[in-house]
Amino acid sequence: MFKKILIANRGEIAVRIIKACQEMGIKTVAIYSKVDKDAPHVHLSDEAVNIGDPIPLESYLNIPKIIKIAKETGSEAIHPGYGFLAENPDFAKSCSDINIKFIGPPPKVISLMGDKIAAKTLMEKAKVPVIPGYHGEKQDTQSLIKEGKIIGFPLLVKAAAGGGGKGMRIVQSEKFLEESIESAKRESKSAFGDNTVFLEKYIDKPRHIEFQILADEHGNVIHLFERECSIQRRHQKIIEETPSPVMTKELRDKMGRAAVNAAKAVGYTNAGTVEFMVDGNLNYYFMEMNTRLQVEHPITELTTGIDLAKWQLRIAAGEKLTIKQNDLLQRGHAIECRIYAEDPANGFLPSIGRLTKVEPPIGPNIRDDSGIYSGMEVTSYYDPMLSKLVTYSENRNDNIKKMIWALSHYIVLGITTNITFLKEVLHHEEFKKGNITTHFIDNFFKDWTITKDGLPIDAIIALAVYDSIHTKSKEIVRYKEEDPHSPWKHVGRWRVGGREV
Amino acid sequence: MFINYEHDNHVYNVTIEKKDNHYFVTYDNTEYKVQAEEIKPGQLKIKIGDRIIKSIITEGEKEKYIFVEGKVFKVKPVELTGMKKRKKKDEGDLSSPISGKVISINVKKDDNVQKDDVLMVIEAMKMEYLIRAPYDCKIKKVNFKEKDQIEIGQTTVEISKKED
Repeated sequence: MFKKILIANRGEIAVRIIKACQEMGIKTVAIYSKVDKDAPHVHLSDEAVNIGDPIPLESYLNIPKIIKIAKETGSEAIHPGYGFLAENPDFAKSCSDINIKFIGPPPKVISLMGDKIAAKTLMEKAKVPVIPGYHGEKQDTQSLIKEGKIIGFPLLVKAAAGGGGKGMRIVQSEKFLEESIESAKRESKSAFGDNTVFLEKYIDKPRHIEFQILADEHGNVIHLFERECSIQRRHQKIIEETPSPVMTKELRDKMGRAAVNAAKAVGYTNAGTVEFMVDGNLNYYFMEMNTRLQVEHPITELTTGIDLAKWQLRIAAGEKLTIKQNDLLQRGHAIECRIYAEDPANGFLPSIGRLTKVEPPIGPNIRDDSGIYSGMEVTSYYDPMLSKLVTYSENRNDNIKKMIWALSHYIVLGITTNITFLKEVLHHEEFKKGNITTHFIDNFFKDWTITKDGLPIDAIIALAVYDSIHTKSKEIVRYKEEDPHSPWKHVGRWRVGGREV
Repeated sequence: MFINYEHDNHVYNVTIEKKDNHYFVTYDNTEYKVQAEEIKPGQLKIKIGDRIIKSIITEGEKEKYIFVEGKVFKVKPVELTGMKKRKKKDEGDLSSPISGKVISINVKKDDNVQKDDVLMVIEAMKMEYLIRAPYDCKIKKVNFKEKDQIEIGQTTVEISKKED
């Protein structure tokens, strides 16, 4: 096993990985940009190195700097987390070039799966069903418009190198096709450094269901069942659960086998995820393979009892998988809610500012993977996800109630978050019935605003009491009998703008 | 003591007095007699009749945040002289929805544009936000150039309705 590794990430995932290392007796090196100098991952690690300017390209995406730090600190391996360099084959290659183990699959697998077009072609060959679309090489706007018209509307424009909804556009009609292609190309260029896009048929009533994979470097591959990730906004997941409410034993076996075959077909190693789109008739189509630890990995950990982060480290160190497919059991139900600094009532725009108070809920089977603290400044440099709240119960009904309880006791003050919104999604009758698709938020919460009932009386009383306690007596002296001739003394009780009382 | 709180464009007038071990809070012609204790800084336990209100309050630069019954409310104390009426967001308001960087400008002064045309593209947190024309109109002024930093609420492009 490694003695020391570097974590090339920030926020909750860096914290998650450092904790796994500490349990395993592995020393950790954190990196941080200027604005992150007091971030939890910095204080938790054994060593932390300032990597400079907060702009991602200068810090968490800066391959030469990170490699240099890894060498100088004597790190034997690098864990990339998710996002940033996690699916960058050049980074994986730079690591192996200097004999530092990249904790993930080999660079050539990352390139192959990162190129969504090549990945789909390969899956078609391996007889895994894929969605109709244009994955061709003609990338000029006019050719793409022509292909788009053939596929028909609505269709999706997707960045070939994309993920997380970046560089992705739904096009409802021909009128918007050209600008969508150009905008998606620009966004993809700036986020991934590559502007190749592809087009595909937009499937009706789609669910997003993915399978977790673990593959060692000795040819053993297992799947750890599914995760239902249909609740999305702006094409990014916000609520994930497992098991999926529509999954049957037969379908699970079939899709699980397809996922294992997909992983074997590309020579996959380490933890990965095969994403499928499932339509209303439970047909499934391969979408993409994520060659990293997923944001939503905790729900799989809770329902299988397997620690995925630790297995990533063991596999990278060359150990064999000791878990057999038949040993795995999916037990109970887990939900993850992503807590974002964003305003759901205003198009989910990110909010920034200082977190004046953070207090996560604590209770049986409640897990909070978090990268925030009271007093922290949330900036616009990085992804606005603050933490991941995960609950586990015997069954889905109980678990929805537990999650609502946990969200109701999650205190995040100072900036706008999506907590109230998440709660309302969980309260929705169709969600409770399990009738969810990736359009759920658009269908039921399009013009959602926080219920405008105004301030409840409890809040008014509490605020007044707070201000009374915290106002120096001098400031309210006029209300007392300082001046016996004060007119205030004779007006009795009154309210501004109110009637006489 | 009189206090005015603004929440969501509504002003709440409250009075509070402390007598012996009780607070008397008056709001909307009703008086509430409560007992209160600040357990930890900002964390209040308030007894009102046989009910207990638990709340947490923190102060930002100008505003206060209160957490009560699982919900968060943002309030601002306001002066007695009344508050400025906030300009209502109308259709023609092309203020930036976010702080970010202007990455492309598709129009110039005196251009005629159609409803839904993209006028400007702003990037923040690696996502693009498109500023679209709210109706057929003429461009009066473009307030930014490419690569400019833009703050939330700043007017991106000034437009005038086309005269028939």
